[in-house]
Amino acid sequence: MKPSNPLLLLCALSALSSTATADVAGEAAVDMSKWKCESCKFEQGISGTADAVAGSVSDKSAEFGQYNGLYRKGAFLIGDGAVRSRNEDGTYWNLDASNLGLKTQSMEAEGGKQGSYKLRFKYDESLHRIWDRALTPYAGSGGASLTLPAGFASATTAAMPLAGAMQSVDLAVQRKQLGVGASWNRTKEWEYAVNFRHDTREGNILRTGGAFFVNSTQLVEPVDYITDQMDASASYASKKFQLKLAYYGSKFRNSNHALIWQDAYAPIAGETRGQLALPPDNQFHQVSASAGYQFSDRTRLSGDVAVGRGTQSDNFLPFTQNATLAAAAIPGSSPDARVATLDAGLKLSSAVNERLRLSAAYTHNDRDNRTPQAAYSYVVTDMFSGVAARTNLPYSFKQDKVKLSADYKVSASLRGTVGADFDSNKRTLQEVDTTRESTAWGKLGTRVLNLVDLSLKLAHAERRNSGSFLAQPGITPPENPLLRRFNMANRNRETAGLRADFAVGERANIGLGFESSEDKYSESTIGLSRAKDVNLNADLSLTVSERTRLHLFANRQEIKSKQAGSQAFSLPDWNADNKDTIDTFGLGVKHAAIPDKLDLGADYATTRSRSEINVNTGASNPAFPHVTASLDSLKLYAAYKLKENLSLQAGYWIERYSSRDWMLEGVAPSTIPNVLTLGLQAPQYNVNVLRLSLRYKF
Amino acid sequence: MTLKKLLFAALLSGFAFCAGAADKPADKTAEPPAPPPSLGTEYTETGADTCLMCHVEGGDFPVFAIFKTKHANRADKRAPFGPGGLQCEACHGPGKKHFEAGGGPDGINSFKSKSFLTPQQRNKFCLECHQGNARTGWHASTHDSNNVACSSCHKIHAERDPVLATATQPDVCYKCHRKERADFSKPSTHAVRFGKMTCSDCHNAHGSNAAGLLVKPTVNQTCYTCHAEKRGPFLWEHAPVAEDCTSCHHPHGSVNQARLKKNPPLLCQQCHSVAGHPSVARTPAGLPGGGGGGTAFLLAGSCLNCHSQIHGSNHPSGVKLMR
Repeated sequence: MKPSNPLLLLCALSALSSTATADVAGEAAVDMSKWKCESCKFEQGISGTADAVAGSVSDKSAEFGQYNGLYRKGAFLIGDGAVRSRNEDGTYWNLDASNLGLKTQSMEAEGGKQGSYKLRFKYDESLHRIWDRALTPYAGSGGASLTLPAGFASATTAAMPLAGAMQSVDLAVQRKQLGVGASWNRTKEWEYAVNFRHDTREGNILRTGGAFFVNSTQLVEPVDYITDQMDASASYASKKFQLKLAYYGSKFRNSNHALIWQDAYAPIAGETRGQLALPPDNQFHQVSASAGYQFSDRTRLSGDVAVGRGTQSDNFLPFTQNATLAAAAIPGSSPDARVATLDAGLKLSSAVNERLRLSAAYTHNDRDNRTPQAAYSYVVTDMFSGVAARTNLPYSFKQDKVKLSADYKVSASLRGTVGADFDSNKRTLQEVDTTRESTAWGKLGTRVLNLVDLSLKLAHAERRNSGSFLAQPGITPPENPLLRRFNMANRNRETAGLRADFAVGERANIGLGFESSEDKYSESTIGLSRAKDVNLNADLSLTVSERTRLHLFANRQEIKSKQAGSQAFSLPDWNADNKDTIDTFGLGVKHAAIPDKLDLGADYATTRSRSEINVNTGASNPAFPHVTASLDSLKLYAAYKLKENLSLQAGYWIERYSSRDWMLEGVAPSTIPNVLTLGLQAPQYNVNVLRLSLRYKF
Repeated sequence: MTLKKLLFAALLSGFAFCAGAADKPADKTAEPPAPPPSLGTEYTETGADTCLMCHVEGGDFPVFAIFKTKHANRADKRAPFGPGGLQCEACHGPGKKHFEAGGGPDGINSFKSKSFLTPQQRNKFCLECHQGNARTGWHASTHDSNNVACSSCHKIHAERDPVLATATQPDVCYKCHRKERADFSKPSTHAVRFGKMTCSDCHNAHGSNAAGLLVKPTVNQTCYTCHAEKRGPFLWEHAPVAEDCTSCHHPHGSVNQARLKKNPPLLCQQCHSVAGHPSVARTPAGLPGGGGGGTAFLLAGSCLNCHSQIHGSNHPSGVKLMR
């Protein structure tokens, strides 16, 4: 669709705008001479809560402790608190703190004079513990250079002297975030805001491989990142017109630009060490404007435009660490990589009359990669030079999308909506220039017997590409000509969703849902040919009595896909089926055992997942063992009010997790002859946490 | 498709029944129907003091927590309880009719889902003041189109609105987005279940022009707000990575490591069919004790055992994403 078409549609819709009708609330003169608000209990002064928490964790577990900070075995102490101040002149401040003492602690403060200015402060830590007990023979984990003991290099992992060399390393990343911000109102209409966020990440992550041709090594990669982000905006808001002008800037810095590691394998072509490029410093700046205009009570137009520039100019690393190879000159000192982004949107909606609402929206997203192209006479894994040079391919993407919909209210209890979406994607330097997708959808919603709200949505989408897949000349070796990459392949998509929400009196709400999405890539001989996702869910909220409330949910999801491949680089000679089944169930109960004195509660949640993978080559291939995971979590808690301003809280949390994954199970560092792994195993844990806390309220 | 057709037929029957019932003429022998409920047009004589005569502390409809909220700031001219503000009636509409009827749903904007006002009519009271900034795009957004009311998510009479707090917001969203609750219970998820992330970190529930109501114009720009190390632009890009992170990752959760939609090698073999090792069918024969070779292509990191720079490489020798 040409860009002018959506604009024409939007104009046509705006013409449908009818004159404003009377306000819902109507107009009335207000005599406020007797409005004293004498019964109003406005908050004044300082109030808050302070919690002192003591507890104990039964076992050490990275997986259990990630994000909650309880990864160590033994006792812990935590402080939590919330303080707020309110003054008659409109000034206020709030201070909230949680998990003080853990590596997941957080503090947030906000204050100012409402309607005039606001100041914000936030400090937040989070710990992403990925794995305990990664095993590596390398010294220097956490740094930019990994070294091996003398005489370590061997032909295979089995021949390596692992026994005396292995060290245990925890893989974890600590994130610390500091945010400050201010906003102020110069007039009732104008608001200005500035926010700044400083984000640091430190630790180790798994680098899946440092390879030398057919031999590879799992490495520990250092993480020492700083990201600074800034938002600044000026906003205008009146009843008819709203405008926001904004700037967003993000600057990323990595203290380590490369990771060097010694080759653990006996050299084949003189290679003794390799070097990986780590995430480069980069920055992104974007200015944007968004606006909304209320033509009438019934018709509104809004739009936004954002122009961005991203750059990255980290100095090039050398082609190779292998001094025995004669490497060519690198073209330039850095990639001088840069992208320009343009994102824009326009949306018009109009209630033509009491029954009919129309809306139209257009969005444009453009990522124009302006990185210069050059031929790089690269060295293959520090071992082979002299191969044909390759030219970098800076990919650009441009998407235009139009969405039209009409919503009609048949009666007070019946409403129908139809819509059409048109999506055009243009790509450069790929096998397909353009894909276009058209989607037609409809939705019906009704209330039956004033008891149940039903809604059904059906959609059909067809995506077609601009022609056959043409191999890119710069990419060698070429892909199988029968391959159709799923993001560019012709596709038919059918989606359906059904919801039923029952309200049984004031006491019970029951929700049932079904969602299905099925993709067919009927012209994809090689690659993904079919995918389906089906979800069933149920939800119940029940007020059992004035003192007891219950909540229950259950969910089943099945994700299936089918794909084909060709070992002969010809017609398909194998196919694979993948099926994930995930069941989730949860139950929560809250009970006021002694009203205003003792509250009890319990939350139970369980998840079971199973992945079934079959790869069929025509021979009688057995199926892969199932990849499974099960999580059971039970939390019990009680709060007892000792005095009006003092309460005792107790909690017991037991969580069990077990998983099986043939990719990891039994894979020790020396299991694979040509991959020296970290010996990471599928996570398992069984942890109990007991906590007691005293809350003082003031 | 059969199931969908059955569902469609069943639902159409329900709609037909419902529409028929709605249009059914009134029984001639019955009493004349009561006039339909409507908002009052006159304000009370004493404002909030009138309301609080019935809406007392501890009553069936407790309202006093409003005085701990920003709406009850007496110095803010924009606030309902600020100078010249219409107090309770700023949001609930003129209350005289409701007061004189001794309460009940008629005459007042209760903000309840069973109100005689449509969600759009209820929202209008909020949008009178709250229309700028993130709410500019509310109209015709996914939530607006699905008749979501402001009060479906926000609790105004609460000292702390649960939807505005990181730890409690997801439960509010899960009331409708039930599939997402299950997603965040999967083995590999973002930290939502642990209260360290929340839905609004990525989504603008008030409406945006981006797909999925994202806070930034595209999926990748949204992801880069936390994962700036993957932004590049890299010398050697991996095309689907630069285009859309969700080509390979499910942001809400998955059963595979790193929220991957599928484990390698099959994940990679959906798009890579080059002659040689990428196109070889990896069967259980490659498992330890399976009797076949190729364990390096199947176990541990599979394809990523060597092609570890899957998000792009800045190394001049990184064309194969191995440096």
